[in-house]
Amino acid sequence: MKFTCNAKDMAAAVTTASKVVNVHTTVPILNNVLVAARNGRVSVRATDLELTLENAIGAEVQEEGSCTVPARLFSGYLANLPAAKLQMQGTASRATLKCERSNYEFFTLPAEEYPPLPEGSSSGQFRVAAKTFRDAANGVTFAASSEEARGAVLMGTLLELDGTQATLVATDGYRLARYRLELAEPVSAPMKLVVPARGLGEVVRAASDGQIEATVVGGQANQLVFNTGDAKVSARLVDGQYPNYQQVIPKEFDKKVVASTAQLLAALRRAGVVAGDRASMVKLAMDGTSLVITASSDTAGNAYEEIDVERSGDPLTIAFNAKFLVEILNHIEFETVTLEFVGALNPAAIHPSDAKAAERQLYILMPLRQ
Amino acid sequence: MVGADFHTHMILHADLDAFYASVAQRDDPALRGKPLVVAGSSRRAVVLTASYEARPFGIRSAMPLYQARERCAQLLVVPPDFTKYKETSTAVFKIFHDFARAVEGLSLDEAFLDLGDTSVDEALDKAHAMKKAVREATELSISVGIAATKMVAKIASDDGKPDGCTVVPPGTEATYLAPKPVRRLWGIGPKTEQRLLGYGIETIGQLAQLPGDRLHALFGRFGEDIRDLARGIDPRPVIEEWETRSISSEETFEHDVSDIAELDRIVHAQSAELAERLQRKQLRAYTVGIKIKLADRQICGRQTSLREPVDNAPAIARAASYCLHKTSITQPVRLIGVRVSKLAPHDIRQTSLFGAHAS
Repeated sequence: MKFTCNAKDMAAAVTTASKVVNVHTTVPILNNVLVAARNGRVSVRATDLELTLENAIGAEVQEEGSCTVPARLFSGYLANLPAAKLQMQGTASRATLKCERSNYEFFTLPAEEYPPLPEGSSSGQFRVAAKTFRDAANGVTFAASSEEARGAVLMGTLLELDGTQATLVATDGYRLARYRLELAEPVSAPMKLVVPARGLGEVVRAASDGQIEATVVGGQANQLVFNTGDAKVSARLVDGQYPNYQQVIPKEFDKKVVASTAQLLAALRRAGVVAGDRASMVKLAMDGTSLVITASSDTAGNAYEEIDVERSGDPLTIAFNAKFLVEILNHIEFETVTLEFVGALNPAAIHPSDAKAAERQLYILMPLRQ
Repeated sequence: MVGADFHTHMILHADLDAFYASVAQRDDPALRGKPLVVAGSSRRAVVLTASYEARPFGIRSAMPLYQARERCAQLLVVPPDFTKYKETSTAVFKIFHDFARAVEGLSLDEAFLDLGDTSVDEALDKAHAMKKAVREATELSISVGIAATKMVAKIASDDGKPDGCTVVPPGTEATYLAPKPVRRLWGIGPKTEQRLLGYGIETIGQLAQLPGDRLHALFGRFGEDIRDLARGIDPRPVIEEWETRSISSEETFEHDVSDIAELDRIVHAQSAELAERLQRKQLRAYTVGIKIKLADRQICGRQTSLREPVDNAPAIARAASYCLHKTSITQPVRLIGVRVSKLAPHDIRQTSLFGAHAS
């Protein structure tokens, strides 16, 4: 293998891919990145077997081939190179790098031993605009569980595909986020996939403009490979039954409040400061045309916030974890937000007030009980 | 000194006399009147309690057992029976509660009692009635000290041992403490005592008279606190129950266990016990962890923090089991335990979308 490329391009590709390198791995070759030169392109790949990242850069390829280089050494070296031409030559045991007047040799491991990308026939695929998918993923992944002890399923995001419609769902059992989006073309058969949060996060980072093409592959159809521009993200899908989320979304609500998103968010952030040591509990009391937010703590003091709202239905007082509410409101971009309720102990719905946006984006939040 | 009928806030310190040894003598008449110690059976065993008959030989608690044997050839050694001590202690504390507004237990055999605003005479009557009640219920004697502050009450009860009842009337604390050696004061350990003796300060009275700059030179910023104590001033109240910071359930095995499935079953049982204790105390835990002692006595373990606190057995067991599987167990296990910490009051609960124990 022999090629010439821009040192900065190479540095970026190696740094991005090396993120998945697990320094505690017991498999030596997983400490390395795989560099492959083919068809006037150079790709850099790293994996921890759960998640694989690959980035391609333009290069002048003199001799096609591949080699593996220790990720930490390689990225440490590349990060300190000037924006100059880099020439790389690799064999099964050595990689030689020349840049201006520096000349390095790294010990490598044979490229054939590097775990191959998941193969097998595609058992389903979909295409979607990168920006749409990024918005959807950003809008739901925060609601997934971060507790390994509660299992991998709740730490993942459900991806439901049917016709031209895709639905992303994440929940930690206390709040639920649902985001619907249109696919570029209909899928051949409905699919339900649980994608680990880490994998989806990498897709969001890698996807810039254009399209994302995703393919389910692998012997047990257990890998989802996202192709977007020069980047490829392959994630092992989570095996397990996702909870029946539709069942917990109330069919009807009889109380409704419409508030300014910015005003409500600011009030909750302030009240949350006081609520901190009491399970972050804020009480929302709705009556007339006002929403009163209160919080109190033996150590911090008391909070009172009043904002004008549009309201319908009976008055209601309901308690929530302020942090959960703030996180949800942080993801609502519309200027007004609608909160819908059944009772003080029933799930509440939160969504942008705009009808079209509401169809897209929905949050369900469980209250606190005293 | 104030009049005997003057009402002031009084604290009583109660201490069971040679508790473990007295229980042994109570339950086995053959042991009565003989020098005995309660101690374990290992080679490194130490004396847990020495009977009053053993004390003239210079035998004290915490002394290595072999040294105690050297000092007294006819010494009897009795193994401890904590179930019995616990039962007896519970009975005694129940009586304490009958006589006090609040009880702050220090150990199985020692407690501070808040007697509230009372006169010296009333306090004495109460103390005698309480001593009688303890003797009738358990056949054991207690020593009590009564004073306006915790530290003076404790020193007074020590002075009256065994079976004593000592009152230090309010206003006489400094006089009472003055002739006593400095080491009787809280916070004065053997090292500080040596240092003070080096400066010629032998009694609490001498310490109480020291000027501010000398105190500061000797104790730094604690100088004034120490002088207050030396003068019998101690504002600490009797606190009913120390805040529970963590609860754990542990088991030491007779034979070391290597089977993970077996350990997992034990962890589940311990989680159920913890859940019950948390619910009884109306608490929930944000952190669940396990502790493992390996065959070579090396201790290892893991803990995990939860977004929502737990108090039910399945949730605690799930987290504990997760910790167990994350711990690298390189040897057979000698002890395993589950611990819950970062406890929060139970009054607020995050409801769940998928039922109480959703996962």
